[in-house]
Amino acid sequence: MSKRAVDMTFQAIYTLTDLRVLLRETAPGHEFDEGQKVQVERLLGNLERQVASLKQEMLK
Amino acid sequence: MRCGNGIEARQVDELFINIDPIQAGGRLTADAMKAVIAYGDGYSVCDNCRKPNRLDYISKPPIADFHTDVARWLNMDAVRTVPGARRGFQAVAQTYVKKGDPVLLTTLSHYTEFLAVEEAGGIAREIPASEQKLVTPDAAAAKIEEVRKEFGRAPVLAFIDHVDYQYGNMHDIAAIAKVMRQYDVPIVYNGAYTVGILPVDGKALGVDFVIGSGHKSMAAPAPSGILAATAERGAEVFRTTSIVGDVTNRKFGIKEPEMMGCTLMGATLVGMMASFPHVKERVKHFDRELANHKLVTDALLSVAGTKILSEYPRKHTMTRADTTASFDTIAATHKKRGYYFSSALEEKGITGVIPGATKVWKFNTYGMTGKQAAHLAGAFVDIARENGIGVN
Repeated sequence: MSKRAVDMTFQAIYTLTDLRVLLRETAPGHEFDEGQKVQVERLLGNLERQVASLKQEMLK
Repeated sequence: MRCGNGIEARQVDELFINIDPIQAGGRLTADAMKAVIAYGDGYSVCDNCRKPNRLDYISKPPIADFHTDVARWLNMDAVRTVPGARRGFQAVAQTYVKKGDPVLLTTLSHYTEFLAVEEAGGIAREIPASEQKLVTPDAAAAKIEEVRKEFGRAPVLAFIDHVDYQYGNMHDIAAIAKVMRQYDVPIVYNGAYTVGILPVDGKALGVDFVIGSGHKSMAAPAPSGILAATAERGAEVFRTTSIVGDVTNRKFGIKEPEMMGCTLMGATLVGMMASFPHVKERVKHFDRELANHKLVTDALLSVAGTKILSEYPRKHTMTRADTTASFDTIAATHKKRGYYFSSALEEKGITGVIPGATKVWKFNTYGMTGKQAAHLAGAFVDIARENGIGVN
């Protein structure tokens, strides 16, 4: 297993952590303003890339 | 969802606005959460521990720098991390208090300060708070004189809370410290509700020790905290070991007996360190927190019969409310009795009020967004209206 897989695992967890904090900041309704929607899109995009990299690394 | 055998994943702060009075300042930052994930293993910060083998000398992760930075930030000379403010009280009491020594506390002091005095064999003497629930320098001077008459000597130590846990009132600790200095009484500044919440300058306050709580006010995991001292007092409370084993002739280097060697050795310390840059920044914006808090107290006070028992206008975001003549009037006839109030709050996405409490209760708005504060303020008013309580 590569160092890259380990790095990607941490990065994905950290991206999810940023999403978690956003859920905290918008509790209880979780209604995002425009800036937060942009942030969520960016974070989810990052997460998809990180998961794709993980698949590549861990399933090869 | 579970995160272990029988352990529910805690989602309180993701699902609700949490107004628990002791939890607000300890909520982790994103960086602290990430650090905790990376450093959750037991002795995780010890990977690069080198001689002289003491926690506050480790440079990777930058624990040594953290100690220096915290001391500078508080304008004190020496800092150690401790497993909670209470362990800081304990270290100081063990250093200065001997059996039968009088120690000053106040009628609003936290119980752990009493326990620290008790464990050291001291005798507690409380400075009475005024009718407004404030500890004044005059009352402190009067109590010292009283102690001198009773014991034939001044107290050996004083523990004073800058903001007390009962009312969240702010006491004039600089003026109280001035009185203590006149009598040569070392003073411990209990900053459990201030260090990490608002700016604290130990030297300007004229105190010997500053104690803070990581898990209460520095966005850190429990148990964590800091004990800061002036150079003079640091040499006393952070003295190094001198014990020698009679068979092995072993000595223990620069370990400090009051710290029991190393203190926070993993997620607690790294969590506190990761939050520290954010904490340093947030204390500069306490005015925003007070503005959010005012929005909520104004709403509460608009509910007929509600009183704020804490000093007013508020100087802190933790407040004691009396709703005996408002929300409690519904409890006697409501099918949920006193539980209706916390239940109604929960339905509106708010938690942290003790279930069943409708008379006197505390809350804290620290760390809320403006939108969340508005939601909370609106919820109190709505619950009043829904239950036929007048709103002004």
